[in-house]
Amino acid sequence: MNWAWFHKLGSPKWFFHCSRPWALPLFIVGCVSLVVGLIWGLAFAPEDYQQGNSFRIIYIHVPVAMLAQSCYLALGVSGLVYLVWQMKIAPTFIKAVAPIGAVMALMALVSGAIWGKPTWGTWWVWDARLTSVLMLFLLYMGIIALQNSLTDLLLANKAVAVLSVVGLLNLPIIKYSVEWWNTLHQGATFTLTEKPAMPVEMWLPLLFSTIGLYCLVAGLALWRMQTEILAREHRSHWVKEEVMKHGL
Amino acid sequence: MTYLSFIKAEVLVLWRRKQNVFNALLFFLMVVILFPLGVNPSAEFLAPAADGIVWCATLLAVLMATESMFKEDYADGSLEQLIISGLSLPLLMLLKTTAQWLVVLLPLLLMMPLLAEMLYLPDGSFWVLIATLVIGSPSLFLIGAIGAALTVSLKQGAILVMLLILPFYLPVIIFATSAVRAAQLGLPYLGLLAILLAIFLLSLVIAPFMIAIAIKASTN
Amino acid sequence: MAFDSLTDFFEMGRHGVYVWSVYGFSVVSLIFITWSTLSRRRHVQKTLRKRFQRDETI
Repeated sequence: MNWAWFHKLGSPKWFFHCSRPWALPLFIVGCVSLVVGLIWGLAFAPEDYQQGNSFRIIYIHVPVAMLAQSCYLALGVSGLVYLVWQMKIAPTFIKAVAPIGAVMALMALVSGAIWGKPTWGTWWVWDARLTSVLMLFLLYMGIIALQNSLTDLLLANKAVAVLSVVGLLNLPIIKYSVEWWNTLHQGATFTLTEKPAMPVEMWLPLLFSTIGLYCLVAGLALWRMQTEILAREHRSHWVKEEVMKHGL
Repeated sequence: MTYLSFIKAEVLVLWRRKQNVFNALLFFLMVVILFPLGVNPSAEFLAPAADGIVWCATLLAVLMATESMFKEDYADGSLEQLIISGLSLPLLMLLKTTAQWLVVLLPLLLMMPLLAEMLYLPDGSFWVLIATLVIGSPSLFLIGAIGAALTVSLKQGAILVMLLILPFYLPVIIFATSAVRAAQLGLPYLGLLAILLAIFLLSLVIAPFMIAIAIKASTN
Repeated sequence: MAFDSLTDFFEMGRHGVYVWSVYGFSVVSLIFITWSTLSRRRHVQKTLRKRFQRDETI
């Protein structure tokens, strides 16, 4: 098998030039799809017969929660890639995505809490999902704090990669333990009633907003990575050419 | 240098820095005392909460003890010597963490009968609490050492270590206190101890390597 | 349209406050993260360009 593409991927220059045309289109497609999904969900999707209109929060809550988890998965994987193959792109990815993931986790927490008020009657219950998202948020904040306090670039790269990998290995254990703890402490009184199947007109806007948010975040992540690459590689010739000729 | 001489030196150093261990134990005691004073001194509150209080205090004390475990070795250059010694760095780190664990945990266990009395710990769950401490605390030390190694180059790393590491302690405290509570209710608790053991084994496999990577990156 | 009138749409059958506050918070968060991304981009570009121009004059 030819692994050349894999090693090429590690070259910041190659990555910069390849990813450059993708960021803006991904961002725009993401925005459009997200807006379509949200407006559809807000105004046109039918009302839920149990939760009334408060279920419309799902069109924000679910995509955001999915992204919060996917971003952490991606962080852990790229941390592993960095530790094993020393690929230079991986730390820029971690640095770019960690704040996005933190914002997503925060949005999931806030939307979950606000959704909880009409559904459960309180802003916060120590529900397994809420608690594990809270932990996820703390893990993101830990990565960001470590990144910001280490000034030596090489050390910061390594340290953040180690923390992401440890986090990735621990995340399933944390999730499992929180679920276990939750069933121990409270009965199944406070669960969102899961219906077997959503009707298509409820489910389709969710698909739009989820795909939209994924694209939007991908676009943002590419932009952040490109910025980080330019800042880190400012001594190399191609960066100078790039900045003087095209701007960003 | 051999592994044996490393262990000897490590024990000697720990003995000379016994004040650090002493401080961590005092801190542990202080945190335990905060609960009766700050929340409620009655037996109705303390008896069901005793295991949780002991475990919360243990988490914090372990973090206090591990946070500085590489600091002096980093400052005086002995960490670099370990790296170039030709011995396996992960194994050395494991030995170091084990020494730290023994030095902190043994006095902590000796304090337990007294604390169990002070917190009105229900009869019959004392030995389960001891068992959870013995099985669960190695994971705390191993994970805490990762945090200590990541922040060894920072002057003020203590709060950062807490922020980084406490989320990883969550499963340990959940399963440990659940085991004690299961024992109090007369339910089977061996399965929970087995989960604690599994977390310990997982940390044992991963943590030494992560500590070694972090130490190597920090000393460059 | 799942609603009869525009006021219905904003009220959402007593749940309007919750739904709209979630959407508001989310939009603000997304705008914030986009703004921070773009402003850092501009900042890096500006500083690098200044530095390269200075290097050339030397």
